[in-house]
Amino acid sequence: MQRHLTTKRARFLAAVALGLMAVFVVRLAYMQIIRHDYYVSQADSEQIKQFVLHAQRGEIYALDGSTPTKLVMNETVYTVWADPMVVTEVDKVVEVMNRVAGGNVRDNFRQYLTRQGSRYQVIANKVSRKQAELIKKEKLAGIGFDAVTQRVYPEGQLASQVLGFVDASGVGRYGFEQANDKVLRGTDGVLKTVTDVRSVPLTIGNKNIKQPARNGTNMVLTIDRNVQAKVEQALRDGARRTGATHVSAVVMNPQNGRVMAMANLPTYDPSQLAKVTDVSSLNNNTITNPYEPGSDIKTFTVATGIDKGVITPQSTYNNTDKIKVDDITIGNASKGQTGNITMQHALNWSLNTGMVTVAQRLGNGRYITRQARDTMYEYFHDRFRLGQLTGIELAGEAKGNIISPTQQQGNAVRYSNMSFGQGMDVTMLQVSAGFSAMINGGTYYAPTVIAGTIDGKGTFSRAAAKTKYTNIIKPQSSDTVREMVHQARTAFYAGNDTPGFYIGGKTGTSQTIENGKYIYSQTVGTYLGFGGEVGKIPAYVIMVEVSGKGMALQGGQDALPIFTDISNWMINYLQLQPKG
Amino acid sequence: MASARRRSRSVQRSDAATGLDQRPRRRQVAQTTKKPSLVRRLHRPDYQIILWVGLLMLLGLIVMYAIGPQRANVLNATHHTTYYTDTYFAFKQTLSLGLAAVAFVGLSALPFAWLQARAGMIMTVGFGLCALLFVMGNLLHVEAVAQCSLGACRWFNIGPLGSFQPSELLKFGMLLYIALFIGARARQGVLDDYQQTVIPVVLMTLAALFFVVVLQKDMGTGLALSAIIASMLVMSGMNKRILATMLLGGVVLIGIMIAIAPHRVERVMTFLQGDDHVAIGDDSYHIRNAKIALGSGGLFGLGIGNSIQATGYLPEAINDSVFAIIGETFGFVGAVAVLVLFVLLLVRLLKIAERLPDMTMRLVVVGVFGWLGSHVMLNVASMIGVFPLTGITLPLLSFGGTSMVFIAGALGLVFQLSRYAAYQPIDEKESSHHEITSSRRWIGRARYASRRRH
Repeated sequence: MQRHLTTKRARFLAAVALGLMAVFVVRLAYMQIIRHDYYVSQADSEQIKQFVLHAQRGEIYALDGSTPTKLVMNETVYTVWADPMVVTEVDKVVEVMNRVAGGNVRDNFRQYLTRQGSRYQVIANKVSRKQAELIKKEKLAGIGFDAVTQRVYPEGQLASQVLGFVDASGVGRYGFEQANDKVLRGTDGVLKTVTDVRSVPLTIGNKNIKQPARNGTNMVLTIDRNVQAKVEQALRDGARRTGATHVSAVVMNPQNGRVMAMANLPTYDPSQLAKVTDVSSLNNNTITNPYEPGSDIKTFTVATGIDKGVITPQSTYNNTDKIKVDDITIGNASKGQTGNITMQHALNWSLNTGMVTVAQRLGNGRYITRQARDTMYEYFHDRFRLGQLTGIELAGEAKGNIISPTQQQGNAVRYSNMSFGQGMDVTMLQVSAGFSAMINGGTYYAPTVIAGTIDGKGTFSRAAAKTKYTNIIKPQSSDTVREMVHQARTAFYAGNDTPGFYIGGKTGTSQTIENGKYIYSQTVGTYLGFGGEVGKIPAYVIMVEVSGKGMALQGGQDALPIFTDISNWMINYLQLQPKG
Repeated sequence: MASARRRSRSVQRSDAATGLDQRPRRRQVAQTTKKPSLVRRLHRPDYQIILWVGLLMLLGLIVMYAIGPQRANVLNATHHTTYYTDTYFAFKQTLSLGLAAVAFVGLSALPFAWLQARAGMIMTVGFGLCALLFVMGNLLHVEAVAQCSLGACRWFNIGPLGSFQPSELLKFGMLLYIALFIGARARQGVLDDYQQTVIPVVLMTLAALFFVVVLQKDMGTGLALSAIIASMLVMSGMNKRILATMLLGGVVLIGIMIAIAPHRVERVMTFLQGDDHVAIGDDSYHIRNAKIALGSGGLFGLGIGNSIQATGYLPEAINDSVFAIIGETFGFVGAVAVLVLFVLLLVRLLKIAERLPDMTMRLVVVGVFGWLGSHVMLNVASMIGVFPLTGITLPLLSFGGTSMVFIAGALGLVFQLSRYAAYQPIDEKESSHHEITSSRRWIGRARYASRRRH
């Protein structure tokens, strides 16, 4: 028993040690070889972090004459976040954040600093670069910064309803921002990288993937900041003059469909979104709000008649101030121009009977036949594209409605009303674009607000021309109608026009419909016109609308002066040459 | 206990009289003058100890160099300084290794008899310092002196020199004293006597465990201490039944220790529930990341400088968790190589022990085996998730500190004692039978004698 006891005991101890070591080696082999892939995936899920490389949102420019100028810019602000697992000096963090960025911290943000099981808690938003630098100087453990871009508006609230805005989650809302969100936003990049425990990227290993962000495109609008500013001013003046609560205007170039200005009152300030109380003020009514256009449409009826050859400006008809269509009788607003009068005369005096006569002549001369209605529908809807989306690059465009003769509603009574602008819903932009085609020689240019893009180096590339439709009406028909519209303006209202230019326009005063009935005490006043050099295609088309709850606003009295104001300014701004 | 100390003092005196404190020359035979005792041959020490220890230390230094930049980065970021350079840890480790080398050389040169004469004193100082630490830390809360965390004070702050863990000194003192005590009892033929041997040893052990486990809440050191004493008892040739009884008592004791301390229950729960443990405690996070480090290292590892877990994911990456970092950096191959080096060293220690003619010397060497072995086992076992975390360092590899110096010193002592080893296992009875002849022939072959045959 005693013999070799020491050796036995030593061997026993060795056996214990070797046995344990063998267990360890087996365990290591299991972990490091058999379960290697499992632990690699565990390691990856812990060590590899994915960072979003934010794409810079495209900036928006307006034109200043022909030079792009910034209307919407980006400003980098910082979202400050905490990693509760790393934050140690809670009191110091609270003190520093309150001192440097007290206005930007989240309410009671101390609680987020100690949130269990979280690695990312936002504690302050929209901290400026300067504030961020001050915070960084304090070298607080576990505090990180995310750069976020915020929109700033160097021109204030200019064209705000055209632009729209970007919401807190970075999505474009309303107007251009919404309609072009994808292009403006660009594509966020991704950085997948191995990081240390504080999420600082490491260059270790080959698992790092970087997909750079593609910044959004910088867009240039056709909106001319000077025209836009003038129009907004003219609207404010007009609203003050007339007491109208809602005023809108569109200014476009009839030679290419480019919108130079679009404005509505009331409007809003995109940098003060929190103060917006009336959501409808975010809308761009010139495209979102279809209405009954009224007498402006008489130009369309006359243009149809002339192009079809059923009338000339000098064609006469017997005006009795009333005309019967089926079971209804239509009267004129201005009475007393009875007898045999010309179509020019009827347009000048805005006589409904004249327009119904044109519609009848499109048929068999006595009745607005199906053929007459088909013709009117073809011109109004298919050619002048009323009641169709214009495809303007802005959010919220409404289609309006032109009732087709194929529908039961599209009867003779309906079309008699349509001949002077009732019984149809259209937008101001549709009317302006159709009117542009009518007076520019017969080419419909799809209206646009995009002039082009600006690349990273600041080079301005013009956008490709949008769709156009030629021969909407014959060029000579266009010449004839243009002259008629010019005559219609000069017959009564031309007194304030800058002399030596070729200005034309048509008033409109439409009753509004409340509870399915026309009411006369609340009317919308509009004015649709053009201006340019004598003997040339007009350089601008302006449409103005004024309205107000319970207010009877007149096209001639209330909308026309705003047109005249803008028109005279445009002549000057565009440096048009007067006829010598 | 007091009587035990007095008894042992008489043993020391008799040993001191053997003339061991004279510096023996190579291959010189120290003659016993008084009572006939073992013949002591002195010869070249066992250089394999230096080889394995050196390789392990070198490996530790390489790891410090490899993960130095990551650690420096983490610490700089945490403390907002640029104080830690990429080579800071490799440099500090070099200094620690220098200190360890001094301890190794010192204890290999310091006469064993001189040390034996002071074994009781060393142990007493160890107990004293542990008591002082408790008073300073837990009772007076002198944070400048006592380093505490979560109510456990384990270190003294010693200014620019860093920190000192008195339980390491206690471990060393216990090792020496109990070796001496059991050696004396064995010589008196009362090894298996409960009154004279077993109960005093158990009481001394319990006293030490009280300081380490109860006051310092350091289960790891407690287990290491138990392993040291258990190894010595096993090697002493004590009766198996007594050993089994003590083992049973030890297991019950450990069970009680775990049950009364919530933080140990947590550790055990973490261990038992493994990856599914719901609570996001520090321990489960620690073990999970140690396993990730090892597992993701694979067969050959990520290579030097490519450790990711060392960038802050794995706590104590250069201290307690260095084995996991080795596994990540050098893979299965590296981790096993480290284990093999430790096995070679441990087996070498046993080999020396079984060939030492003197019981006390033998027990000292086996005690060092238990010390080194328990540290390696406890550390590695917790890193690979087969044992709860005990917060114990991996000897010779972990970054710096008290434990490195003490284990190096202990190995230095073994290195000194290896000069007395015979070349063949010694049988206590046989050798004592032949000791009167003063013949070396019965103790073992002359060195290289066996090789000559080939």
